[in-house]
Amino acid sequence: MHRDAFYSVHPAVNMAFFIFVMLITCLVLHPVIVGISLVSACAYTVVLKGRKALVFDLCLVLPFIIIVALMNPLFNHEGVTVLFYLWNGNAVTKEAVLYGLVSACMFAALIMWFYCLNSVMTADKYVYLFGRAIPTLSLVFSMVLRFVPRIFKRISLVSRAQRSIAPPMGKSAVKAARHGMSVLSVTVTWALESAVNISDSMRSRGYGLKGRTSFSIFRFEKRDAVMGSLLLLAFALSVWAVAAKRIYFRFYPSIKTVPADALCVIGFIAFALLCLAPVLVNLKENILWRLLKSKI
Amino acid sequence: MASVKIEDLTFTYPNAASPALENISLEVGEGEFMLVIGPSGCGKSTLLRHMKSVLTPHGERKGRVLVSGRELDSIPQREQTADIGFVFQHPDDQIVTDKVWHELAFALESLGAEQGRMRLKVAEMAGYFGLEKVFYNEVSELSGGQKQLLNLASVMTLSPRILVLDEPTSQLDPIAAFDFLTTVKKLNTELGITVILSEHRLEEAMPFADRVTVMESGRITVCDAPRRAAEILYRSGSKMYYAMPAAAKLSLELGLDETALTVNEGRRLLLSMGLPKRRLPDKPAKARAAEPVLSAKEVYFRYEKDSPDVLKAASVELRPGEIMGLVGGNGAGKSTLLSVLCGERAPYRGRVCAEGKRMKGRFSAFDAHIGLLDQDPRTLFSSDTVREELEKAASHRENAGERIDDVVRLMDIGGLMDRNPFDLSGGEQQRTAIAIILLTRPKVLLMDEPTKGMDAGVKRALGHRLTALANEGIAILLVTHDTEFCAEYADSVGLMFDGGVIARAETREFFSRNTFYTTAANRIAGEVFENAILIDEVTEAVRGTNRE
Repeated sequence: MHRDAFYSVHPAVNMAFFIFVMLITCLVLHPVIVGISLVSACAYTVVLKGRKALVFDLCLVLPFIIIVALMNPLFNHEGVTVLFYLWNGNAVTKEAVLYGLVSACMFAALIMWFYCLNSVMTADKYVYLFGRAIPTLSLVFSMVLRFVPRIFKRISLVSRAQRSIAPPMGKSAVKAARHGMSVLSVTVTWALESAVNISDSMRSRGYGLKGRTSFSIFRFEKRDAVMGSLLLLAFALSVWAVAAKRIYFRFYPSIKTVPADALCVIGFIAFALLCLAPVLVNLKENILWRLLKSKI
Repeated sequence: MASVKIEDLTFTYPNAASPALENISLEVGEGEFMLVIGPSGCGKSTLLRHMKSVLTPHGERKGRVLVSGRELDSIPQREQTADIGFVFQHPDDQIVTDKVWHELAFALESLGAEQGRMRLKVAEMAGYFGLEKVFYNEVSELSGGQKQLLNLASVMTLSPRILVLDEPTSQLDPIAAFDFLTTVKKLNTELGITVILSEHRLEEAMPFADRVTVMESGRITVCDAPRRAAEILYRSGSKMYYAMPAAAKLSLELGLDETALTVNEGRRLLLSMGLPKRRLPDKPAKARAAEPVLSAKEVYFRYEKDSPDVLKAASVELRPGEIMGLVGGNGAGKSTLLSVLCGERAPYRGRVCAEGKRMKGRFSAFDAHIGLLDQDPRTLFSSDTVREELEKAASHRENAGERIDDVVRLMDIGGLMDRNPFDLSGGEQQRTAIAIILLTRPKVLLMDEPTKGMDAGVKRALGHRLTALANEGIAILLVTHDTEFCAEYADSVGLMFDGGVIARAETREFFSRNTFYTTAANRIAGEVFENAILIDEVTEAVRGTNRE
């Protein structure tokens, strides 16, 4: 089971969180916003995967940031503040360096958020979320998820059996192709037979009767409502600050930003809380556990 | 009322020459546990399928089926779905969804139950059937026994009054099968559910039944209480007698007044005879060839770098002409050892030798003269007729074409040559598969669960054929859960546990020193004849002692 506390929240809240965070991260190219997003994503990957995540972050994401950050000023010479000239006479500008760095961090943050999304949003959660719109879809999806691995297993069994009664194929592509076709056709025969049996089992359990419902193991509880509203509020505040141009950053032709005022700070704080929500939830659960334990 | 009454039912499949069911009349009372037995292809499944409208096969039908006094076809589908639960043979072929919780809810979803009721029912069934720990798991992670319990649980969510089970344990190992049957019996006694069960595993199922219906080629020949049924079968010399529990055979053949059914009853009967303890004479040991034709020496194997070892110093040797049985629980590494022996997987330590040559890495089973028969013989088929199948197999070895006739005779498949291998019965498919393998001229035959799902008669025929093959010098390895089959046909038996073959001994010695992994005959007679492992031996020994 997942040891992540955010995982156990209702799938709709999970999904909303990732949509909010990723939207702002990729649409608002602001060093502070991107920084907050990157740090939070990094923290969450560590909460999710522990030491394995650190390896991922340091060995894959960090080099990625460095390469992209270096590439931009090499090919992009916009900006008015020239730092130095390259061997071919092209200018390396402060704006381009900064832009490269920030956009690299933005991409890196998105990659890490996807990494988290992958581990939090398991197949059954998607089925649940999208299956409510089309009930048969969720059943079909579930059947496919069951059947596809069975077919692959069968293919390997058939292939083993058929290879054992014929000389090794060596490197001959023709023989390999013929073997593949034969395995496939036998597997299809088996799959059809299996499908007939499955359809018997389905009809025997009333499939096809009118008024089918869909069972879900997820329940929308009060804490989901509270958490959902808080996330929405944080998202709204950040969007407000961006829309009111209180969170603003221009790279080209020259770097321009606005002085920080109350709304800007509120926007930053709101976004930080939004991004850190899963980590905070985990932190809260941990502390709660410690307290409960110490009382025992 | 949840009774089933069948009145003079005759059923013929389209284009079939003779009816599959002939003048069947049967009454199953409220809360009764009815066991339906008979050889494969006798019409058991066809009969059971007539007890639910959606499953009734197409064909020509005469006679009536009444459920709780009403004509079956007049009962609305919704009511039939809920009241008559059906569990089929193959655990995998009836599970629809990918998650355990979803499968449990499937039937409830079909009937449009609302969330609250589903939640309650699903929870209740998960608890009753011991599926709580795997509730969120993928179905594919379950063992065969758990899958079949899941199928039963999913049907039980609708609280049926009648349960129809068509050979539900044929694909399970003995322990899982016994668990499953016990659960069915529990449903019968605790909830009063009417049970109609077809089975090959009579050792376990007979004592549970209130009555036994015996079917032979589409007709009911006997329908009586288990003890009486056994007596009638004995007296009439029916083929089905061979499938009776060991205790019943013992008491019938010794002509005792009382017919025993369970091991315990048989044991007490035998002890009450006050026979002196003695050892049976050992069978003369087969002359063993000196050189093993296939061996694995202390092999280690794991599937992934970080996963635990599945094989730990597993060693096994097969000599020409010997039949070795390999028994052991699920997950002991039996199948993995098999795949190492046939060259599909390479051990990371230890050596595999075929015909005295060390095999490095993965190797071709064909080149090493190793034949492999999977649990499902259909994996070997790829042509439209048995004849083509054999010709294709023979084409890979020189002069193998001349052997086709021999092999056909040996496996008795002359009558099947023009049939499609996929349309044959399980036993016929297996014979065809063995014939295909024999045409590759193997020196070793590795068989994975060769007796799975087979009735007693087919098993016996298989045993005789394997003995004949061994006499021709082929070494045979039977990886199986079927201790009775091993006891009868294997020369030696190994027990696999925790990735290693921990004990290997001559068959009689192996079974007579085990208390659990042994045959019913040994459990019945072990205290009198400590090394008896077959019921025929026990009967013979009792007679012999009495004569003295």
